Parts: sequence; structure tokens; C-alpha cells
Amino acid sequence: MGNCLSGDVAGGKQAIGGVQQRPTSTTTNNAAQNDAVDFFFRSRGQYPLFSQIELSLSASNLIDRDIASKSDPMAVMYLRKKDGKLEEIGRTEVILNSLNPKWIEKITVSFQFETVQTLVFHVFDVDTRYHNVPVKTLKLKEQDYLGEATCVLSEVMTKPNRSMTINLHGNVGAGVTRKLGTLSLQAEETIASKTVVEMNLRSVNLDNKDLFSKSDPFLRISRLVENSIVVPVCKTEVVDNNLNPIWKPVCLTMQQFGSKDTPLLIECLDFNTSGNHELIGRTEKSIAELERLCHQREAINFVYPSTSHGRNKVLKGQLIVDHFVEKVQYSFLDYISSGFELNFMVAVDFTASNGDPRTPSSLHYNDPSGRLNSYQKAIMEVGEVIQFYDSDRRFPAWGFGGRTADGHVSHAFNLNGASFGDEVVGVEGIMSAYSNALTNVPLAGPTLFSHVVDKAAHTASQSLSQNSPKYFVLLIITDGVLTDMAGTIDALVRASDLPLSVLIVGVGNTDFTQMEFLDADKGRRLESSTGRVATRDIVQFVPMKEVHSGQVSVVQALLEELPGQFLSYVRCRNINPVGAPAI
Amino acid sequence: MYILIQKQLMIYIRRTDHPRLYTPIMTKTLEIDVRSAEGLKLNRRLLNKKTFAVVRIGEKSRTSHLDVSRGSSPTWDYKLEMPINVSVQFIYVEVWYRTSSGREKKIGEAKIPTSDFMGRYSPEGHLNFLCYRLRDEFGDKCGIVNVSIMVKPNSTDELFKSSSKDYGACSSQVGTGPWRHRPEAPCVDGYGGRIVTGVPVWCVLQRPTIEIRVPRM
Repeated sequence: MGNCLSGDVAGGKQAIGGVQQRPTSTTTNNAAQNDAVDFFFRSRGQYPLFSQIELSLSASNLIDRDIASKSDPMAVMYLRKKDGKLEEIGRTEVILNSLNPKWIEKITVSFQFETVQTLVFHVFDVDTRYHNVPVKTLKLKEQDYLGEATCVLSEVMTKPNRSMTINLHGNVGAGVTRKLGTLSLQAEETIASKTVVEMNLRSVNLDNKDLFSKSDPFLRISRLVENSIVVPVCKTEVVDNNLNPIWKPVCLTMQQFGSKDTPLLIECLDFNTSGNHELIGRTEKSIAELERLCHQREAINFVYPSTSHGRNKVLKGQLIVDHFVEKVQYSFLDYISSGFELNFMVAVDFTASNGDPRTPSSLHYNDPSGRLNSYQKAIMEVGEVIQFYDSDRRFPAWGFGGRTADGHVSHAFNLNGASFGDEVVGVEGIMSAYSNALTNVPLAGPTLFSHVVDKAAHTASQSLSQNSPKYFVLLIITDGVLTDMAGTIDALVRASDLPLSVLIVGVGNTDFTQMEFLDADKGRRLESSTGRVATRDIVQFVPMKEVHSGQVSVVQALLEELPGQFLSYVRCRNINPVGAPAI
Repeated sequence: MYILIQKQLMIYIRRTDHPRLYTPIMTKTLEIDVRSAEGLKLNRRLLNKKTFAVVRIGEKSRTSHLDVSRGSSPTWDYKLEMPINVSVQFIYVEVWYRTSSGREKKIGEAKIPTSDFMGRYSPEGHLNFLCYRLRDEFGDKCGIVNVSIMVKPNSTDELFKSSSKDYGACSSQVGTGPWRHRPEAPCVDGYGGRIVTGVPVWCVLQRPTIEIRVPRM
């Protein structure tokens, strides 16, 4: 029970909501918005039948699971799938020492009008350290369970004010049924916008609220939604012992502040490790007004709400905006439609673990009746997507693990059988090359990805010197069991700084835990044997059996992480869409 | 005697010719940005002290400013330029902390092979974002350091254009137009010595393809 005495104080002091993430990270709490998928469907005339909803959570009267302090709660939101299993959608941040937390991090979900979406919330008391640890990587099994609640999304949306309070229930042990508190939800529609505002804020002459030292001030910015509901948007980090604090730059998206004229409540509070932060002063300004303050070099005085006289007390403490920049964050579609080329490459698994092509149970079964085998089905389905995004329809196609005519096992041979030139044209090209290769190349092994990844990385690095904007995607269609994990990880780490993504499509029914390890979704970065760590996550794993069971469409599965991986490459290098003005 | 003297003279002349015949020591300039570190640990516990970074190439080293946020994930954004001899194989990035008494101690260091930012996948002028595992004096893991390194392109260097990295040779063969020929054999893939990339599946009328094995560099 590591930090049950006072909680992770450093974690409680960190900034939430207004911080720019590590440029190469792709983690978002956004399980819904995917440009690439939307564009694909819209081009076929299928308009999305859902809208993006953002949920703000808060709880009250939580039970106390820490000994000498209060619980440090965090909420996790799940969606209940058709088979009853829970799929995690997102998590809030951890709040220090509070039994009535109002979480700042929002969770986004797509509200589909025609299906019943059951949301399940679990609230935990975080006992492990969480300072500078991405919330996604916190292991839930190590935390204390505080309760759970269930509701249906459409119910929240149809209530007045779109907010709802539900009771927490659950088995927290000790056999005692006691009240576990309530959870409140506030739903709002999200605005797709690209404007990002960065401000440098500081204060002078703040009041001293601490007894033996000076205040530890931090700012909390909230948005005023209709009917005076206050939704916290971000908080800065805590500056210790300082009455003239300078905070690190705060970065807000239009998603967070609504519009430039929406009034924002800016509160300056004194941090206390007990969790009861004292209000030093507050002010209400919109983003446009803050911009004016910056340009005209004015300061705004904080105000302390007074109950007795009915008039607020104007304090000496002032808020100053030093720097105000409005930036545009381009989306994946902006880049693609401006001329950024997406180039796909395909690699097919020819190892013996697929089974002898003459037996009907093999994944490579050459059915005389013409029925497609698993590989052909996978190629057809992914082919539709890649043809859409790769405009010239020329794909380098390779096979690996097969025994080529010279008797050696090759881990990257041309699927079309040519000695020079590995390209095929269109999905039909891949299919015919595959059929030909199947009759001519006996299956062998072992399963190694490193050679095809190196080939793809080589192609990607060639484009760097040409200075033309291209991004490469390698599709590896495999039956799943990797022989050389270390070699594959080394090849992936070497390629992690290139404009390349690797999508691994898993066919068959094997256990794909190795692939999920490579996908690094739990936040753990891949590390090579030479000590180099992957710059970014470039792998995504798509199990075809989930696609075929109808749980997710192939388009969604394939393109899920691609926009994020693409943006992590271009943004950290400040590459803008072709022809766009430089920021 | 005369002949001998001539020979000696010839030999002498040849010696002075050496610097022109063989390649002289080549120096490039690196633009290094030591951005940040994560998960810094001292004695297996997360660190809580002020830290700074040191970049060491050969005998030279440069030190960054101190990060006063006292966390285990400091941000420096320390930009510097350093010359590097192309024959150097590793550069080192060390992370140090300052104790409460003012002394400075090393947390760990990362050994960065120059092949990660020079050659193979990285053309000159390309910004490489790299991350490395820090290891302490006992070899234990003690964090990750994030750097970005760029080799400054030296356009006055005519001598070394031809001996530049392989991708340069390959990219010149890539033409425009309907048939984009992607060359196979000349592009050396340095990992582990490649085996044949072309497969003569229709071996009826083809001449046998020569298997090109490139030894590990």
C-alpha cells in the first residue's frame, strides 16, 4: 500500500489538461474521432450516424481507503460489448486526497443513435506513484477498488442539462454494504476544431494563505456551460512557496475552451496536501479577453467572493498574460488532401505454420472450388482500404518464410516472382501474385519479420533524401507466431524514427499476445538489444477474427492508429501540409 | 647509387603524396538537442533532484544547464553543436544530478552508436529523434534519455559525395514516370547480410540470378 500515508504529493501537484504531450506520443483519451475512417466512409456516401460526445466526471462521498489521508481517486470508463466483456474507453487523471473529486480529463465516446451503449464506470483509489506516469499505464489490479456504476449513454443525452448522477455500488470487501457514494456525468458534444492557444500566465502579489510559509498557488481554469454548470478544463502545476508565481505555458484546444468568447472561470488556489485547496482569488475572462490583456500588457485583479456584504472583494493579486499564441493543428486529412502520399507495401506469411496448402484446414488452402482462403479474404478486405488511400495503386509485395527456387529460405522475396521490381498493380495484382507464389514457393519457416521491416524502412529512408512528402505503411499478413522477437523488435526500433507505420494483420486463431506486445498500446516503449528505445509507436495489430465476428469493421481496425502515428511523425518535425503557411 | 638515390627520392615523394591519395580525417558538425529524460532512477527509486546532461564525443564534452524542477522527468532542450570525426563509433550522453551539498554525481549514461544518425537510414540534414536507455555504473537500467541529432550538411564537400551512404546511390536510380523502378541489389541493407531479394520463379528461360551476399559491414 505504497503511498497510503499522504498519497503521491508530487503527482497531485502536476499540471492536468493544459500540457502539451511529448510530441511523439500518440495517446489520447479519444476513442471516437478518427479522420481516416470517416473520410473512407464519407467517400462512399456513408455518413457517420454518430456524434462525438465528451464526458466530464465527478464523484461525491467516496469511501476512504487510505489510512492517514483520503483516497486518491481515478475513474475508468468501459463500454460493455455484445459478448458482455468490458472494453476500456478511457481514464481520468488521479486527484490527490479527495472524496469529492471533480476530474479534469474528459473521456470522448461516439454516441451512436441506433444502438444501446452501456457504459460502465469503475472508480479506483490509486496507491502507486503516478507523478509523470501516463495514466494509461497504471495497473488497475494494484489499486484499491472504490465502486462501480452503470448507465446507458442515450439516457444521459436525453436528460435535461445532459447530466446525470448515479449511485456507486460494488463489493469492496469486508462484507459490509455501505454507501459508496455517487458519480455524476456531464455530456457535451465535441467541436472538431484545429485552433490551439498557448499562453504564459503568471501572477503577482498573491495573498498568503499558509501559516509558516508562503502559499503554493496553482490556477484552475473552468468553462461555464449553460445553466451555470462549471466544467473544469485544466489546471496548472503547483509552484511552491511563491506569491509571484510563473507557471509553465498552458496549451488549450478549442475543444477545451469552447469558443474565443466563452467565459472562462480562472481560480487561483493554494495547494494543500490534505486535498482541501484554499481559494486565493478568481476572475472570469474569455480567451479573447486574455488575448487583449496580453497585447495591451494589462493585468487583471483577482476577486474574492464575499458572502456577507454581497460585494466581491477586489484583491491586490493580479493575473498577467505574458505570451499568447494561436496555432493551427492540422489534422490527418489536411495532410493527405494537400498532397502527402501514402504508400502501402504488403508482406505475406509463407511459413509452414499455416498448414499445407493442399489440406482444407490450412490458412493457405488452395480451394479448387474457388472459395477464398483466410489470406485471400484478408487481402481483399484490407486491399479495399489501401487502394483508397494509395492513389497510384502500385504496391511492393513480398513474401517471407518460403523456400525459393535456389533452395534457400528467403525472408523477403518478391511475391510477383520477378527478379527485379517488386511492385504489383492493385488488389488484383496482389491476389494473382499471391496465387502464383503459392504454387511455386513451398512453405518453410521460421517466421521472421525483421527482413521485411528492414526493407520497408529502407524504402522509407530513401524518400527522406528526395524531399517529397511521403508516408509508408507496411502491411504484414501473418498467422501470428513469431520466432525471433528480439530481431523484430530491433528492426522496429530502428525504423521508429522514419515515416513508416507497420500494420500487422493476424489471420487464424492463434494466440496473438506477442503481437499485442509489439503494438505497445499499454504505454511500454519497445527497446532494442543495443539500448535504443523506440522513438514512437509505429506498430498496430489487427486480428482478423475480431473483424469477422463483427465486432469492429476492417476499416476501423486498420486505420485506428494510423492518423495518430502519422501525426506524431509530422508534428514533432514541424512538417506542415504541402502548401500550408508555416506557423 | 644514383638509382638508389632516385628510389629514395621517389619514396619520399610518394610519402608526401599520401595525404592527397588517401582520405584525410573528416569532420562533420552535429547539431544535438538533448531534449529530456524520463523515469530517472537512483538506487531503483525515482529521482527527486536537480539534474543536468553532459554530451561527450571523444575527449570533448559539453554540459547543459541545470533543470530545477526536481523531477524524474526533467526537460532541458539543450541545443549544441559539436564537431565529430566520422571514424568515431559512439557518442555518449550522461545524466548527472546535484546533491543537496552541491556535489555532482552521475546517474547513468547512454551509448549512442553513430550509425544511428549517420549512414543507413539518415541522410544529412535529416532531423533524427532518438531515445536511449540510460544505464548506471553497474549496468542497471536507470531511465531513458530523448535526444535529437542532425548531421549538418556540408555542401562544400565534393570529395565525399561519391562515398556517401547507400541510399544516395539508390535514390539517383529512382526515376519518375509510370514505371518506378525500385532497385534491388545495389541497396545494401546493413542488418545481418542479406540474401537474395529477387526470386526467379519462372526459371524456364531466365538466366540464373546471381545471389548477391553482402558481408556484414
